[in-house]
Amino acid sequence: MNSRERVDAALNHREGDRVPLDLGATSCSGIHVSTLAALRQALGLDEPGTPVRVSEPFQMLGEVTPDLLERLGIDAVRVGLPNNIYGFANEDWKPWTTFDGTPVLVPGQFPTEPEPNGDLYMYPKGDRSAPPCARMPASGFYFDSITRQEPLDDDHLDPADNLEEFAAIDDAALEHVRREVERLGATGRALVGEFGGTSFGDAAFVPGPTLAHPRGIRDLEQWYMSLVSRPEYVKEVFEKQCEIGLSNLQKIHGAVGDSLSAVFVTGTDFGSQGGPMIGPKTYRALFQPVHARINDWIHTHTSWKTFIHSCGSIWRLLDDLADAGFDALNPVQTSATDMTPEALKDRYGDRITFWGGGIDTQRVLPFGSPEDVRAMVRERMSIFGAGGGFVFNTIHNVQARVPVANVVALYEAVNEYRSYPQEPLVGRSFDQGRS
Amino acid sequence: MGQLEELRAAIVDGQNATALAKVNEALASGLPPEQILQEGLIAAMGETGALYQAGDIFVPEMLVAARAMSAALGVLKPHLVAEGIPSRAKVVIGTVQGDLHDIGKNLVAMFLEGNGFEVVDLGVDVSPERFVAEVNNGASAVAISALLTTTMVNMSEVITALTDANLRDQVRVLIGGAPITTEFANEIGADGYARDASSAVDLLCQLLEV
Repeated sequence: MNSRERVDAALNHREGDRVPLDLGATSCSGIHVSTLAALRQALGLDEPGTPVRVSEPFQMLGEVTPDLLERLGIDAVRVGLPNNIYGFANEDWKPWTTFDGTPVLVPGQFPTEPEPNGDLYMYPKGDRSAPPCARMPASGFYFDSITRQEPLDDDHLDPADNLEEFAAIDDAALEHVRREVERLGATGRALVGEFGGTSFGDAAFVPGPTLAHPRGIRDLEQWYMSLVSRPEYVKEVFEKQCEIGLSNLQKIHGAVGDSLSAVFVTGTDFGSQGGPMIGPKTYRALFQPVHARINDWIHTHTSWKTFIHSCGSIWRLLDDLADAGFDALNPVQTSATDMTPEALKDRYGDRITFWGGGIDTQRVLPFGSPEDVRAMVRERMSIFGAGGGFVFNTIHNVQARVPVANVVALYEAVNEYRSYPQEPLVGRSFDQGRS
Repeated sequence: MGQLEELRAAIVDGQNATALAKVNEALASGLPPEQILQEGLIAAMGETGALYQAGDIFVPEMLVAARAMSAALGVLKPHLVAEGIPSRAKVVIGTVQGDLHDIGKNLVAMFLEGNGFEVVDLGVDVSPERFVAEVNNGASAVAISALLTTTMVNMSEVITALTDANLRDQVRVLIGGAPITTEFANEIGADGYARDASSAVDLLCQLLEV
C-alpha cells in the first residue's frame, strides 16, 4: 500500500496497513522552522547550522523536504498556488537568522531588516511603498496581521471592497498547480490541494494581507461584530466569494483532474478554547450555505475529499459542519472544551475523518515529558484509528519552543503505534491536556 | 419597561444608538449617575456574561454588547467623575510581551470598565517594565493575556519584575488566554486565572474585595 492509497483508505473510513501520517501537507499541519531545524539535526539529516527554508512566512513554517518525508514515513504533501499568504513567490532564497538564532532561508521579498524597535514588518506583495500588513515582534516567532482599517461608514459599505483579493486564477498559476501535481504525484504520496479563496471570513485573510490599501471591513473585531450587526453585507461577500471560488476549483479540476486526495476548503476558526466563537444559528445563516455549495460541487464533479480546519471547541457545530458536507476535520483540538476524543470518534467517526487530534500542542508536546508524548500518541492511535477515518497529525502546527526530545519521541511513537489493527486501550486512558 | 431597564436591554442587545439615547435620557431625567452605572451598565454586563457562559450567545454578540456599553460609558463617565464617584479599583491590562493578540484582552478590558473599574489598557506586546510603571502609578491589579504557548511563559517575567520592584505584595495578578490554566497561574505565582471576561470581573472583585 503506498501513501496515496493509505490516505485514501483513511478518508474512506477503511483501515489500511497503518494510520497515515501528515506533517506539512497544509498550512495548519506543519512545523515551525526553528523546531524543524532542531528535529532535522536530532535525526542526523543536517549538521548544526544548516539553514532550513521557511515555506510559509506568516506562521514561519519550515519546508518539509523529501528526506524528512522518507525518514518519518509521511504520507501527504501540499499542492498550492505560486504565491504565499503575503502575495509573493517562495523564490530567490536568501539567508536570515530568526530571533531565536536559527539560521534559515527566506524568500527574496521577506523582510530581514528590523525596524529601530526590533520588530519586523511584512509588506503586501513585498511592496515597501504600501503600509505594512504584518508584524513580527522583536524576539517573536510568527507574524500577526496589522489592522489597516479605513473609517467605516455604514451608509456607504460596498461588499466589493471585501472581495478585492478574490480573483480568477490565472493561467500561470494553473500551470504551476499542474506541474506541482505532476512532480509530487510521482512520489506516490497523497496530494492535498490548498488554493485559498474558499475560506469564508478567515481571520488570517480578513485583514487583507496581500492588499496595499485594503478597503471594506478589515478590523477583526469589526468583522466578528458584523456577523451579527451586518449579516446582509457578510452574506453578499460570501456569495460572491463562493462564485469565484467555485469557478477556480472548476479550472483546477480541469487542469489536474482527480489527482488530489483532498482539498483544503476552509481554515476559518469557529471555536475558541471554551466554546464556539459563533453560534449554530449564525453558522447556519451565513456559512453553511456557501460551505455546502462548495462541498456539493466537489462531491458531484470530483473524487476529492473536502477538508475543514477549525481550531477550538466546535462540538456544538459539528452536526452542522458534517451536514455541510465536510469529509475531514482538522486540527481536532482535544484540549478545548467538549472535544473529547472518545466522544468525537463515537459520534462522528462514521462521517468525519479526523485529520489531527494526534497530540496536544498546548500542553503535552511543549511542556510534557517524552513519556507523556508517547502515551498520548498511543492513546490517540487507538481511539481515532479504529476503523480508519484518521490521519495522524499534531493539533495544529508544531510550534516554536518545543523541546526537540519531545518531537523525536512523537514521531518514534507514531511509527511504533501506527500499524493496523489498532489495539484497544487497556486501563485508564490518558487525560492530560483536557479541560 | 423603565429607563434603566431599557438601557440594560439595549446594551445586552448591542444596540449602540439606543444605548446612547437611553443613557442621555436617564441623565436628563436626573437619575444619579451611580444608579445608571449600577442598574444600567453593570447589570447589562452581568447579563451578557451570564448568557455567554451559558452558551446562549457567542463572541460577536459579546463584542457588540461590550461596544454598546463602552459608548454608554463614554457619556456617563464625566458625570461619574463630576460627582466624585470613585472607581472600584485601578487595573492595568495588556497582552504579554511578544504576543500581538488582543480580542479577548479587549473584551476583558471593556467588561472591567463596564463594571466600574478604572482600566489602563497598555495594548499588546507589553514589556514587564511597562506593567511595573503602571503599578507605580497606582494600579492595584495587573491583568495579563497570552494566546500562544510560546508567549505564555513570558507572563512569569512580569511577576518577577513586580517582585524585583518590591510591588508584588501590593497588587493582585490575574492571567488569561487560550492556553492558560489555573495550574499555570499557580505555577508562575499569579493570583488567579479567568477563563472569560465576566469571570475576570468576578475574580478581581473577590481578590480585591471590592
